[in-house]
Amino acid sequence: MREPILKVNNLHYSYGTGNPALKGVSVNIYNGEKIAVIGSNGSGKSTFFLNANGVLKADHGEISYQGTVINKKNLKELRKNIGIVFQDADNQIIASTVMAEVGFGPMNLKLPREEVLHRVDEALTYMNILDFKDRPPHYLSGGEKKRVTIADIIAMKSEVIIFDEPTAALDPLNAQMLEDVLVKLGQEGKTMLISTHDVDFAYRWAERAIVFDRGKIIADGTPLEIFKNREILKQANLKRPTMLDVYEMLVEKKMVKNTDAYPTTPKELKILLENNLYYPESSVPMI
Amino acid sequence: MENSSAKRLDFVRTNEKSDNSHHHYKHHHQIGHKHGEGSAIDYYAYASKIRGWNPSFKVAFSVLTLLLCIVLNNPLVSLAVIVSMAYLTVVKGGLPLGAYLSVLMIPLTFIILGTVAIGIDFSRQPIGQFNLYLGFGYLYTSIAKLKEMVFLMMKVFGAISAMIMMTLSTPSSEIIGVLRKAHVPKLIIELMNLIYRYIFILLDVFNNMRNSADSRQGYCDFKTSCQTFGNVASNMLVLSLKKANAYYTAMEARGYEGDLVFLEDEKPFQISQVIYAVGFMLFLLLLWYVTK
Repeated sequence: MREPILKVNNLHYSYGTGNPALKGVSVNIYNGEKIAVIGSNGSGKSTFFLNANGVLKADHGEISYQGTVINKKNLKELRKNIGIVFQDADNQIIASTVMAEVGFGPMNLKLPREEVLHRVDEALTYMNILDFKDRPPHYLSGGEKKRVTIADIIAMKSEVIIFDEPTAALDPLNAQMLEDVLVKLGQEGKTMLISTHDVDFAYRWAERAIVFDRGKIIADGTPLEIFKNREILKQANLKRPTMLDVYEMLVEKKMVKNTDAYPTTPKELKILLENNLYYPESSVPMI
Repeated sequence: MENSSAKRLDFVRTNEKSDNSHHHYKHHHQIGHKHGEGSAIDYYAYASKIRGWNPSFKVAFSVLTLLLCIVLNNPLVSLAVIVSMAYLTVVKGGLPLGAYLSVLMIPLTFIILGTVAIGIDFSRQPIGQFNLYLGFGYLYTSIAKLKEMVFLMMKVFGAISAMIMMTLSTPSSEIIGVLRKAHVPKLIIELMNLIYRYIFILLDVFNNMRNSADSRQGYCDFKTSCQTFGNVASNMLVLSLKKANAYYTAMEARGYEGDLVFLEDEKPFQISQVIYAVGFMLFLLLLWYVTK
């Protein structure tokens, strides 16, 4: 078995008010995994992320990054290697030009100026916003700000990138842009954790899904396993992905053969329909 | 810049909310003060064509011009400064003349109000070269006094236009960078940076709150308006504390360890600009020497 990149063991955390937000969370995350973290509001996803990045200090439990247990001394290592893209871009953007903003992380890593400039250009090119370099963030739109916040983390070259509800408050075009970036980052072997309420997105993008409910992980497996398990869905108040419903209905009505090749996008469904129909092609209306 | 122009329109729209809304469209490029002029100035600075000039040069140039304008105390020098600063801002910087005058209108109002008291005086006796009987006394003045008033006005106006040339061509973040290089204490620099960024966030938050209160009849009469204002203000305080927390978290997540250092663009000095600037200063001195 390969060594997990991030190992979280029996993590407990409660905020100042005394309400426990995390009650014993244990999870192993492996290099290059694409993980969707799902669960209702207040189930502990964001708290878990902040603990994983070392901003919040757990009451109990330990976190190891690449086999090293994190303590006060090597906390910086954890922050350097685990980047968070926050939900609200306005809570993340701190500098008054895009360049200074994207350079903020690398500057904190105490890199030489040349290297910082190089990384900023690289990250802005990656997100396709090099033109915005000299602009102040307060004249950017929501989608543009989101790109800047992602560039922030790309410039830090974190191994693990955490996205806290990235698709919230984005228009369809920007959401698509974001998904393209996620696919691109995935191809480059980055480990990603994304919290989302969009089950359709989780279903088609993720390789693994972790379900949070009231401060605990109640399920951990492939999205297919989880979304087929009605008990878990009910407990975590989750909806089933549309494509899963459509496929099961088609199978139930004997319109396609049950091949266990679950389609996750309309495109995949189309291919499936073209290949696995019960009836000869001539008798079917054009799709 | 499509997005920015939309933003600019937004300023105008929100500004006019408090005015009577009959002249919605006529206000656009009218000379005069509007609420939220601060953010308009910020926008002009980013749009300026001379933004690419080295910020230290611009700051030093405008401060020296201001000093010369005040120290030389010569109406022709003041006039030269006013004209050349307008030339730099409007022609070189590409700012529309209407917008420039609109920005100048705020200090101009203060200058006129302040200098009138020097030029015109009040007395019970009919004295002075010119006087105006008001029934209970006389407003009086003289050519010399009027001249003094106009010269003072020009001096102040020249000094202000030198400063405005700087603010309309240099974004605040760059001015802060210049101050940092001038060894202003780090704490002040960090505060300035954070406050500058925060102004826009709070303005946004405030606009949203005000609009939502407005849509629920929160400003229907004077008493309700006062109450709403208080509620909005206290809510702003709570929200800014919350936001400050969220900010700190986000900064820590990116490795912040107590030192706020930003990456600054380095804009090269252009020797030709320095030569022009020195030439301009010499011209001002010469003008003063010839006409003194």
